[in-house]
Amino acid sequence: MIVPLEHIIILAAVLFGLGLVCTLVWRTNVIMLLIGIEIMLNAAMLVFVGGSARWGMPDGQVFALMIMAMTSAEVSLALALVVYLHRRRNSVDVDEFRELKD
Amino acid sequence: MEAYLFYILAVVTVIGTVMAITEQHPVHAIVYLVTSFFSLAMIFFLLSAPLIAMFEVIIYAGAVMVLFMFVIMMLDLGRPSEASRPFLRRWALPMLLGGIILVSIVTVAVNHISSPDTSRMISINDFSVVLFRKYGVAIEIISMQLLFAVVGALYLGRKRDDR
Amino acid sequence: MKLYLELIILFPLSGAIVNLLLGGRLLPRRASEILACAAIWGSFVATVAAATAYSAPMTVEITSWLAAFDLKAPISLYLDPLSLSLCLMITFVCGLIHTYAVGYMKDDPSPVRFFALLNLFVAAMLTLVLAGNLPLLYLGWEGVGFCSYALIGFWYRDPQNATAGRKAFIVTRIGDIGLGIAIVWLFQLCGTVSIQQLNQMGANIPPGVITALGLLMLLGAMGKSAQVPLMVWLPDAMAGPTPVSAQIHAATMVTAGVYLLMRMFPLIGSSASLCAAIAVTGALTAFYGATCALAQRDLKRILAYSTISQIGYMMLGVGSGAISAATFHLLVHAFFKALLFLGAGCVITALHHEQDIFRMGGLRRSLPWTFWPFLGGALCLAGLPLTGGFFSKDGILAAVWLKGGALYGGLYFAGLLTAFITAVYTMRMVLIVFEGEEIPLNPPLSKGEVKSLPRVMEWTLLPLALLGIFGGLLNLPEFLGGGVLNSFLSHPGSQELQLSHSSELLLQGVAAVVALAGMATAWLRYGGLRRQLRLTEAELPARGLSAFLLEGWRVDALYDLLFVRTYIRLSGFLWQQLDEGCIDDSLDRIAAQLGRWGQRLGGWGEGRVSLSLLSMAAGAALIIVWLTWVTI
Repeated sequence: MIVPLEHIIILAAVLFGLGLVCTLVWRTNVIMLLIGIEIMLNAAMLVFVGGSARWGMPDGQVFALMIMAMTSAEVSLALALVVYLHRRRNSVDVDEFRELKD
Repeated sequence: MEAYLFYILAVVTVIGTVMAITEQHPVHAIVYLVTSFFSLAMIFFLLSAPLIAMFEVIIYAGAVMVLFMFVIMMLDLGRPSEASRPFLRRWALPMLLGGIILVSIVTVAVNHISSPDTSRMISINDFSVVLFRKYGVAIEIISMQLLFAVVGALYLGRKRDDR
Repeated sequence: MKLYLELIILFPLSGAIVNLLLGGRLLPRRASEILACAAIWGSFVATVAAATAYSAPMTVEITSWLAAFDLKAPISLYLDPLSLSLCLMITFVCGLIHTYAVGYMKDDPSPVRFFALLNLFVAAMLTLVLAGNLPLLYLGWEGVGFCSYALIGFWYRDPQNATAGRKAFIVTRIGDIGLGIAIVWLFQLCGTVSIQQLNQMGANIPPGVITALGLLMLLGAMGKSAQVPLMVWLPDAMAGPTPVSAQIHAATMVTAGVYLLMRMFPLIGSSASLCAAIAVTGALTAFYGATCALAQRDLKRILAYSTISQIGYMMLGVGSGAISAATFHLLVHAFFKALLFLGAGCVITALHHEQDIFRMGGLRRSLPWTFWPFLGGALCLAGLPLTGGFFSKDGILAAVWLKGGALYGGLYFAGLLTAFITAVYTMRMVLIVFEGEEIPLNPPLSKGEVKSLPRVMEWTLLPLALLGIFGGLLNLPEFLGGGVLNSFLSHPGSQELQLSHSSELLLQGVAAVVALAGMATAWLRYGGLRRQLRLTEAELPARGLSAFLLEGWRVDALYDLLFVRTYIRLSGFLWQQLDEGCIDDSLDRIAAQLGRWGQRLGGWGEGRVSLSLLSMAAGAALIIVWLTWVTI
């Protein structure tokens, strides 16, 4: 363990906060919103890996791997959706898509 | 020595992320993010998770980010988005919420986690044994999820001639 | 006896009920007219029967009515000379008026309502007079008030009439409050509401309380009997049909206030200051009414003001303690005032509802059957010696004189002055209406074309005229042999002072001279050729004093300014500022604000992804903060 777990968690928290801010700020662009989600997921992965290193258990790394796999699935679907929506509306502004209302 | 490396990489990661989210140009943002992910991969490596670090580089910095880039270019979004909205109004509330969460987590982390430094290194062998012995079912589920994602993406992305 | 008393009230009541229920569709017009008249005459017969069987004051309890804890107010009738004589007068006069009304309302489209209300009125009035306890009296009191309201506004399609009805109702209501308080207070003090028992309890009540009670009753009497300052409703009440004016607003109902005071006099008469207040009210009202009548142009309004004035005399008599004199005047006044009103009704009908006296004239020749009885009634009113009005008025004035002292001396001279004015305005009315050339009417009616009156209308005038003129025989002064009524009314224990014959003769001489002087003055001003002069003068609008008198001392305007405007302004303030401005507006604003919030809240769910994200982040932040600082 090279650094205390606190520091890893603080770094993860900072990354998570930045990802959250990115998600909330970039409402005009779905791509940036997805990037914010990626950042938050990375922060979560960091915590898993840090925990795994702290207790010497590989389970955390397994979960990080699973997050990664899930992320790639999610990103591929989300980007497909973006392409689809862009084709229909010619826009990537998240507020343009209000079909959820009905 | 490794500790210093960790802090340097942490700073690089944070700066890269900040640059990525404040960048008006999506392509530049992606590039900053790739930088950030590379340094995060180094941190994983330092935390004795070399396999995760490799995957981070290959899948994240490689595949996912390239996928992003690919979509941006395909949809011709590669120009700076308008920055017409007032800065404060746009950033204040997200910053506030993010700040609250950050402070909360840091407080918890600092106050409630004791950190004994005894630990053993996790080898790739350990990792693989746990992955395929203990979480075999999860692997299957993940693989099916990926399959569904492929099918879904294909379905969404196919050309529609009927409209 | 009990049967007679019951019948007295039940006849008119059942007449009213039958007419209301069956009239119009089931009964032919003639039948409902006959029914109404028969009810009153039946009541009269019952009264006569009761009078012949009468021996001593008696109370008849018919059935229980209000009974709760200590309060016992059964329907009990009390018959004594006072109520008996009033009942005789009421049933007789009302019977004649009903008969007259058959002719008067010949062309009216809704006779059923009219006769039902008239009958109901008589029933209520008889209840009032015969009531053995105060709540029952109050029932009758309000009953006549209601009938008066309904009949003043009988032709309710004209908003003016309806307004006059409401005015009468509201103004008398002010007085009724006083009476209501007095009744409740008396019950609280004495534990009983029986008039007989209350009248015997006078000694147990402190004098100050008696004065206060008496003032409250005086307030009630002021409202009902149109005394100053609550007299404004009576002139306007002339909007009703003329038989109504004759029956309610001249002969019977307006005397209810006087009757109340007479009825309760054994109780309230012990307070000297109260008596003085009653007497002053009466004298003031008498003077007010007489002066106002002097300037009126409307025939019925002249009579209305003269009614106010004459009731003032009665109050003066009550205030002087001369109950029998006041009763005498009440009876005689009922006769001749009903006569005058009915005569006026004949004139008005004959002239196609023309009421302005300055557009009449020469009716002496065209309406002789109306003129002679009318003249008789007018002479009674003017107080020509040897008519009934002379004796009754003189009786009151003598009683005032007898009380002596500065106050009553002054009141005596006020009464004399009023008598003078009364003579003047009465003769003015007679001279202008009946004398002179017949002036062209609009539409012109030549002399021969005066509309023929229904016979029945003129016939009913005669008995009233005879009663009015020879009513003095009922109660001759002491030196002419003493009065029947006086000895009938005076019950043991009451000591009304008696004048010596010579001084009484002197007072009557003075009164006679005053009345004759008044009539002479009227002749000098309106008689003969000078009549024409006055007619041309009357073309001009009234000015100065005469305008002041014409408008009834401008009391209406004063009340309008003091109460009506203030009330309207207050209501306007409450309506616009308080209700609409404050309450409604605040509610509106709250509603609008809530609506805006609702809009915003609704905007939350509009499906905007960014907003959902923000909300989710805020919720997450909240949960994390809770977990961090509160639970751990």
